[in-house]
Order: sequence, then C-alpha cells, then structure tokens
Amino acid sequence: MRLYKKEGNTIQILSFPNETVEKGDYLLIEDPKQNRAQIVQVIDIQFANIPGIIEDLLRDTTNGHTEGELAGTDYDPLEIASQITVIQDSRILICKIRASLEKAHLTTGGTWLPSRTQSQIKRLSTATLLNLIRINHALPINLGETKDNTQLNIDATALDGALNIVTGKKGTGKSHLSKILVLGLIQHGAPTVILDLNGEYSQIGYEQNGTKSPYHNKIHVLTPSVNFKVTLAQMKLRVIMNILIHALNLPGTSAREFKRIWQALDERAELTLKDLGDALRNLKCNQHVKDALHSRYYSMVNSGFFTDNPSQALNLEDHFYAIRNGGALVINLQDTGLLDRQIVVEYMLSKLTDLLTQHKLRAVFLFAEEAHLYLRETYWDDIVTRMRHYGVFTTFITNQPDTIRENIYRQADNIFLFNFTNEHDLETVSHAAKVDAETVKSIAADLPTQHCILLGNSVRDFPLVAKVRSLNVQTMGQTRLFFNQTKAINLKQ
Amino acid sequence: MSLEDTSLPQRFMELSLRTIKNIHNNTAQSPPPQLTTQETNEGQEEFTPAFLGQTTLQHRPIPLQPRPDQTPVIAIDVSSIRLGETDTGILLALRPATVWKQRGSVYRYMRFGPFPIHITDQNQHDILSLFHEHNHTQHGNNLLHQLTSTPDLNQTQTRITALLEKWLQTQIAAQARNSLILLDGSLTAGTNENPPSAITRLLETARNNHNTILALTKITRLRLNGHNITNLIEANQKPCLLQLNGYQTPSTYNHIRQMGAIYVAKLNHSPYTFRLDTDVDISSQQAVEAVEHLIANDLITDGYPETLRLAHIHATFTANEVIGIQRFLAQAYGIKIAQRPNIRRLLFGPYGTRHET
Repeated sequence: MRLYKKEGNTIQILSFPNETVEKGDYLLIEDPKQNRAQIVQVIDIQFANIPGIIEDLLRDTTNGHTEGELAGTDYDPLEIASQITVIQDSRILICKIRASLEKAHLTTGGTWLPSRTQSQIKRLSTATLLNLIRINHALPINLGETKDNTQLNIDATALDGALNIVTGKKGTGKSHLSKILVLGLIQHGAPTVILDLNGEYSQIGYEQNGTKSPYHNKIHVLTPSVNFKVTLAQMKLRVIMNILIHALNLPGTSAREFKRIWQALDERAELTLKDLGDALRNLKCNQHVKDALHSRYYSMVNSGFFTDNPSQALNLEDHFYAIRNGGALVINLQDTGLLDRQIVVEYMLSKLTDLLTQHKLRAVFLFAEEAHLYLRETYWDDIVTRMRHYGVFTTFITNQPDTIRENIYRQADNIFLFNFTNEHDLETVSHAAKVDAETVKSIAADLPTQHCILLGNSVRDFPLVAKVRSLNVQTMGQTRLFFNQTKAINLKQ
Repeated sequence: MSLEDTSLPQRFMELSLRTIKNIHNNTAQSPPPQLTTQETNEGQEEFTPAFLGQTTLQHRPIPLQPRPDQTPVIAIDVSSIRLGETDTGILLALRPATVWKQRGSVYRYMRFGPFPIHITDQNQHDILSLFHEHNHTQHGNNLLHQLTSTPDLNQTQTRITALLEKWLQTQIAAQARNSLILLDGSLTAGTNENPPSAITRLLETARNNHNTILALTKITRLRLNGHNITNLIEANQKPCLLQLNGYQTPSTYNHIRQMGAIYVAKLNHSPYTFRLDTDVDISSQQAVEAVEHLIANDLITDGYPETLRLAHIHATFTANEVIGIQRFLAQAYGIKIAQRPNIRRLLFGPYGTRHET
C-alpha cells in the first residue's frame, strides 16, 4: 500500500490486489522520519484510475463483436501479464483520518501530512485499535465480534447520560441489538424502561427453550388495560391535561372547563371515572364544550387504562422501585390503539419525570421503539434536553430514520447503525455529528444483516463494524410468516 | 495451418533478459510524455512525396466482386514503446501479434511478449545479429552493416520494430500456404529498416508457398496532380481498385524502391480508401482476385480488413501495460523508472510546450 493523496481529512491509498482490505478496516500510516503515525479508516474501495484501462477492457471484450468470435494465445515467457493484471486490479482506498498516534498517545485529527514516499502502511487489527483507544471495560456489554474475530465490548457508562439511536432498515437486527443493550444494562444494575410497540420484549425474561433466564425476575411486563391500569386519583392535573390536550386534542376552552371540574372533584376527593362522568353530565355550559368533554371522557373510559377499582390499579412507583438496582419495565403497547398508546406514554413519562425530580429514582434508561407512533411533538426536544438532565437516557429504535428529528441526530452520543440502502435514509442518518456523512453513507450501505457500525462515545468516535452476537432469549420480534406455518403443517401430515 | 513457431520469441526472450540484466545503473528515466506514445510500425513508404510521370498514369478503376472461398486471411503487426532511458541506452518493449481467419471459423490470434529490451550502442550489434541469423539472405551482411552503421539510438527503436515485423511476416509467409497475408504499411524498400533484400525475400517466400501479400497503408502521402491518391476514387463508388501504373521514384530518392504494384483500394461501400501494394511479380489479375477473396473472406469495416485491425489492437500497448512492464522491471531486476526532468519546461515554464529534441 502506498499513500497517494490527501484532501481535507480524506486520504487515498493505492492498494494492490494481494492486499486484502475491506470497508471499515483501520490502517496505520507510519512516517518513520516524523516518528508518528496516522490512524485512518477505509470507508470506500474503488478501482484505481489507471490510464489505458478502457482500451484494455475493450480489447479483452472483442469476442463476439464480429461475425465470429476471437480466440487466441498469448506467448508471454516473461510472465509480464501477471504484472499488468496487478496494475489493472489495483485499487484506491478512500480513508478518513480518525486520529494521530504519537508516542503511544492518540490525538485527534490529521493536522500533519505523512510522507508519501517514506510512509509505511499496514493494517491495524481491531484488538490493537481497542487497546490504543482504551475503551473502559469496567462495565462491559458484549455486542458481538468484529470482522477479525475480536470480541467487541462497549462500556455501559458510554450509555450513561447519553442519547442513543439504533437504526437500520427492517430485518437487519435493530431490536436484537436493543435487547443486548437492555440485558447488558440490567446486568450492570441499571433500571430500564422499554416502550415496546410490537411486544418484542415481553419474553426477554425467557431463554430460547422456554426456561426462565437469570433476568426473569427483573423483567416486569406491563400491558395497558390488562395489568397496567391507573385510577384518576393517581393522576396529577398536569398529566391528565397533557393527555387531554396532546393525546386527545381537547381544545383550549374545553380544557379550561375540564380543569375547573377536575379541581372541584379533587377538592371533594371524588376523582373517579364515575364522578367525572356525573360531573360532565350535570355540567351547565356551552353545548359544544360539553360534547367535546364527553367525547374525551368516553375515549378515556374506552381505553381501559383507567379504573375506579384501586385494587386493579398499578402503583408504578413500586415497579420502578423494584427495578432500581437493575431490571426492566416493559410497557407492552402491542395491542394498544394509537390514542391509548399516547395516553399510556404520556402517563408513563410524566410519572417517570416526577420520580426523577423527586430523586426517588437516580436515572432510567428509556428504550423507545418507533417513538414517532406515540411520542408527541413537544417530547422530542424535552427528551434530549430537560428529561435527559433529570436522568432519562433515551435510546430511539427505528427503521424510519426520517421520523427522528435532525437535531436528535446531531445530539446523539451513540448511533448503532445497521444497513440502509435507501439514499434518503442514509442522508438523514448522515446528519449525525459523531461522524462524517461519507462514512455513514458508504459503510452503512454495504453492511450485511446483523452487522452494525458503532458511532460515537461507546467506541470513542472510532467507527467500528461488528457482527451482533446471538442472544439466548425468546425473540418475539420475528415477523410471523404464513408459509413457514404451512410448511410445518405439511410436514406434520 | 500452424502459425505458432516460437523460435524467434525464445531467442528474443533470451535477448531481452540478457540486455535487461546488463543495466548497470538501476535507474531508467522515463521519456517525456510526448515520447511515450505508441510507435507502431506503420507508414514505412512515406519517402515519396509526389508522383512523377503523371501523364503515363492509367486511371482505370477495376470493380471488385467478392469471391468467397476457404482462403485464410492472415494479418501481422508489431508494436514497440519506449519505457525509459538509461545512462547507456534506451529501454523498449516490443510485442508482435498475428491474427488469422478462415471463412466459417473464428478469428484467432497469437501474441508474443511483451519483450522489454535494453538497447545500447554496445549491444545494438548483438540484437541485429539475431535478425541476421534469421534472415539468411545474400544481402544479410549489407543489412547488418546498414543497421549497425547508424549509432543513433533514437532510430533503433523503429528499426528493431521493423526488423521484427519483417521477420514475423517472412515466418508467416513460409509457414502458410495459399493464404492472403496482410501487412500494415507498404512494400517500399530502401530505408534502413526496410532493406530491399528483406522485402524481396518476403515476397519470394510468399510466392513459393502460393501466398499473396497485400500491404495496406492507412495514410499515404503519394499524390497525383497535387491530390492525395486516396482521393482518386469517388466516395460513392462501389468496391474497386485503381491501379497506379507509371510511378517513378523521384531522383532525390534514388535509394527508395517500390517493390510492389501500387493500387488505391476501396474495399467496401464506406468512403474510406487506402493505398494497397501487391507483389509486383504477380499479375494484375492475380492481385485483383486476391483482393476479391479478401473482401469475401474477411470482415471489412470502414474499408479496412478486420484481421489487420485486430492485429493492430492486439499488438498495441496500453498505458497500463506500460506501467505493468515497468513494474516487472522494477520487481524482477530492480530497474526503477525515474521521471526525467523536462528541460524545456524547466527553462521556459509554461512556454516550453514544444517537443523536446
């Protein structure tokens, strides 16, 4: 390999066919005279622009261009053709400068230029790179292995106080990785909350063979209107108003009327569905307001999330207490309608913020799958600013990257990026501040299934490609298929 | 038909290796860009700028009728390219190619090399001796003398290329029977690289084996009444030959000899015409019949035979092949090609644009 060109923080390296280098690999460019080196990452591999190559290719494809074909023999006693082939197959490695290495210390950027003639270029194994970048392994979470079979661990502290995004197209392994992260956090005593849109996490307390896993007792699956109900008395006025205004779109005038009714019931300690219904029936006000309040009331009643029976009501605080030293609250939203989802999430996040504000919880790692389907507009900024400050450390998981706002990408501390082929998706993700757009677009487009590129704090801004390890839990995230079942039935018969 | 005699390539390879190994200074300087161009052996006839005796010229177009049969068509071409210069000489690469075709069968090619050669004043004699051994003619010594008497290495490339091509043509003429042998260039003799003896021997060998030599010149400077001879045939005329009788060598070019009968050939309906030389010792009728076999048995594209086009394509060096050969020399023999400074550029900067001489 020879250093060819440098433009900005992009370095081009000439490589020959016998030098096996792939996208994502790291190279060390050592300049012996300057006694320092640059660490670069290969983000693309192209054919070298060899003069005369088109003439060669055209000549080689003269077969069949005439009335017959062309066949022949090359008498090449000096075997020069092999050298010509090497030239034809020579490649240019497009690399990004990740760091400089001087006296075993890493510094950022490539402010200096290695010698084109003197520099020696060699591959940098992942193990060596990990040693150099000194990822803290006090609280390791094993994600899988890199291409050169090095186990890749990130430290749980890299997720602490962080905003994370797991994204990739459908079926590439996002949920699988999220489960690894959740179980890793639980293992290290962290409380996690999962907004589980597809019911994928409800069985993570079980191993593949159906037996209980060591984490079983730490996983609490809450299904709204089944084992997750609340009384109105458990609600604060602020929470119910948020639900009515944001989830149920109650207009301002009606909201003010509702507030007055709620406060009156609260003073009389009559905050029940029944009493609320009675109060609305007896309400003397504009008919439109009355109708609006009635329709919202019935939405609440029909959600099944609210109950007047205290024994059916869930004390969320108790569950948070139970997971405070490691565990997960899985909010199973699988069979919950859109409005009900928003009600549940509104309640959940309000309660979470209250507990964190009151220091009843130190912090919570929140995993939100396809958050755009239940998170109201104003929460996005809230999550990355205020709630993060209180201790809600969110991981967004989505296969539609454009549903997450650009500012979220810019502020993301870690991105676990799986394959995308759609250019628009890649363009969206490329706004992440933790890495240059070219790296995202080039590497992510070629990632195989179950492989992801890690960007951000967890790898100290050295993007690494890893094959995500398998997980011995019951995976409910797999899509139910028709023909698989048909095949199984036929086999039985 | 066997056209794969590799006796010369074997000797050529030995010569190549011997000359390369003798490079003492292991750095060769690459020629300035304008000299690193393909130098195929073409246009050898271009010593005769005009016709004399124009009044005696017979302007008789001969219509051509394709005569399909099994006559093989064989084409030969040789390319050479300068790889660089050393303190003592120049580094060349040579590559001959032959392409042959018989009606109903595929085009076949045989390519020899590439052969890198280091030519110095000292080894020029050895190199030319090799051709002498392969050209046992009575004029051989004269040829050798002619070639070694000129010390200019810059001309040696052209000469060696021409000699190799002539040797290959003669080999083909000796091995083939009843074939049409297409040459790139004319049958003009009298130059250092085209001695009359070599062309005579080639034509004799071809005749003895019932082969017909057809030499096609892509660009000619022969003129008649001030007009290029290739313009004598109308663009819309059907395939035909125009025989140019009455040609005489100008007195200033007494050493130049036209060894063939000269025609202007329009081989198909395309507007392109070429100078065509045939063996002067075969009859005009035989020449016309040979061309009629050619247009029937070979594909003619843009008025040019496909075998000859393929021979040129396969012999020609592309830029990346040159880099490959330079890499071979560097790896196998430690010969590094260094860029020679362009003196004109150094002295005149952006105004030093003309070819360095």
